[in-house]
Amino acid sequence: MTEEIVFDCLHAEIVNYCLDDSNKENDFSTLEYIGFTTGYRLIERLTRDIPRFKDELETIKFICTDFWTSIYKKQVDNLRTNNQGMYVVQDKAFRFLTRISSGPKQLQQAPKFVAFTCGLVRGALSNLGINSTVTAEVQTIPACRFHIEVSRN
Amino acid sequence: MKVFNLYIFDKYGALMYYAEWNRTKKSGLTREEEAKLTYGMVSSIKSFVRIMSPHDPKEGFLYYKTNKYALHYLETPSGLKFILNTDVNAANVKELLQQIYSKIWVEYVVRDPLWSPGTPVTSELFQNKLDELVKQSPIFGIRNI
Repeated sequence: MTEEIVFDCLHAEIVNYCLDDSNKENDFSTLEYIGFTTGYRLIERLTRDIPRFKDELETIKFICTDFWTSIYKKQVDNLRTNNQGMYVVQDKAFRFLTRISSGPKQLQQAPKFVAFTCGLVRGALSNLGINSTVTAEVQTIPACRFHIEVSRN
Repeated sequence: MKVFNLYIFDKYGALMYYAEWNRTKKSGLTREEEAKLTYGMVSSIKSFVRIMSPHDPKEGFLYYKTNKYALHYLETPSGLKFILNTDVNAANVKELLQQIYSKIWVEYVVRDPLWSPGTPVTSELFQNKLDELVKQSPIFGIRNI
């Protein structure tokens, strides 16, 4: 409980700091980069007792279960893929959105609170050898959908 | 038993939130005037209780009753003031106030990243959760026989 509120408050302040009023273009890149480095480092700590993953799907599954649980205290609610490198991860009660009302005004603010997590997932995957692009969409608060697109080259 | 209305003030006396449920008689004042009067009276009672107490008071002012209603008061260490008016038979109102503070205020106002400290609460989520808690409490549900 106490460690959760520290993370929640810190996250809210990081969002405020990166996206204050002077930032007109809504540039999420700083926020996303903070998430990326956090995820990149975090994955070393989380996988130290885990054997190597068989394939890409298994890696993504790890993100949806263990990784999500250790950060957000719950698993994702749904994982879908087209088997061509597109994954859709759905969280029906996303941690950073559960304390926000579900009005249209709040919905406009929602992208601010998911950018960090996009970076977090991208950083984690990157350190596991998967280059990807991670985007998020919020249609109704507090549900959130993350799209992971694996880049192959 | 009935719950009439609730005021939440911050430590500077600004009205953070107001809600009412079974209030049948209005004061005829504006919301702001009424809040100022309530706040003034409660802070006077608070200092009166502290001064007049024959021994060192532990918690100070907790509630008063008239023959029609009871006013319950909870002040947190941070200076937030919760004032809940109920009918005279309501029991365990102190617990309800504690729950409003810890389960609703802390969870849905303090932890709402879109709320800035010191501003009145507009969050719908907070309103809904508060309404839910108050309506579920036995103080609200049971009717006078």
